[in-house]
Amino acid sequence: MKLLQIFIISIGVFVLASCSTKISYGDATAVETTTTGFGSTDLQTIAEKLVDDLLVFGPVVRLTAERRPVVFVDKIKNKTTEHIDTESITDTIQTKLLKSGKFRFVDMTTVKAIQEQMQFQMDSGLVDPSKAVAFGKQTGAEFMLYGNMSSIVKRNSDTKDVYYKFTLKLMNLESGILEWASEKEIRKTGEKSFFSL
Amino acid sequence: MRKLYIIQNALKIMTLSGVLASMLACSVNETATVVVHDDGSLIQTIESNSDLLAANLSIIDTKTGFVGELLRAQVEIRNGSEDVLNFQYKFKWLDKSGFEVGIDGRPWHPISITPYESKRVQGVAPTLEVNSFTILVQD
Repeated sequence: MKLLQIFIISIGVFVLASCSTKISYGDATAVETTTTGFGSTDLQTIAEKLVDDLLVFGPVVRLTAERRPVVFVDKIKNKTTEHIDTESITDTIQTKLLKSGKFRFVDMTTVKAIQEQMQFQMDSGLVDPSKAVAFGKQTGAEFMLYGNMSSIVKRNSDTKDVYYKFTLKLMNLESGILEWASEKEIRKTGEKSFFSL
Repeated sequence: MRKLYIIQNALKIMTLSGVLASMLACSVNETATVVVHDDGSLIQTIESNSDLLAANLSIIDTKTGFVGELLRAQVEIRNGSEDVLNFQYKFKWLDKSGFEVGIDGRPWHPISITPYESKRVQGVAPTLEVNSFTILVQD
């Protein structure tokens, strides 16, 4: 009887203890393996690998030795079955390339906002015309960075295997020549644990 | 009297549970470092609070060079044990003044090395200012 009471009290204590919410900050660069789905580690690994590949590619090294070519980033096609924010991947790649001091970028996602601002400067009458930004002075991109992301998912009763492939390409806009391409493959396997049955 | 006995037992169980929970929460997360200057003159051995990594991992080759003014590093890590070692590594890039460059920009990479084998890992500095690096290893 006593044992039963102790057992019930212990269970109660455990239940109460497990109901508390603990919030903490973690390392943003830590390996994340919560699920087999696309995660922060995959994004960071892809960006790092592709940027490193691009920066050490011989013709690109020679191209960027004396000047910083202007590039625009096109959308990355997401061919996987998951919802993946591919713009986040290209944002990270673009930031790393900018920080490398080897490339410059034109941001096509802000074209409308820029047009509105320039129109305001020209037409509103509020801006000193001598200090207004002139039309037709922007620099055109010489290269386009684009690519796609695909995945193969296989599963059986115990295991789920996910294979991701991210391809990035650099095209010379004037000649249409593909100057560089690289891939990053990632394989993730999830196994059901005995306790999750 | 009986109630007091139950409370005493419950307190004992709670104390034991607390100790057990604290022990489980103490997961190992040590970091080992190897610092290499850009001229390759100084190569330190792995130092770690993790006995497993400190005793079994070693750097057997380091290559550095500049690619378009960016420092490129390649490190060959050897597993000297008779077990497969699973750990994580990442490069930490430093400028001439010793300031870390690109904090948070580099993820930890999981890696597995089979017994008595070695693997090469490499990275490219994120900016032109980098002239030395540290490779971090954790289990």
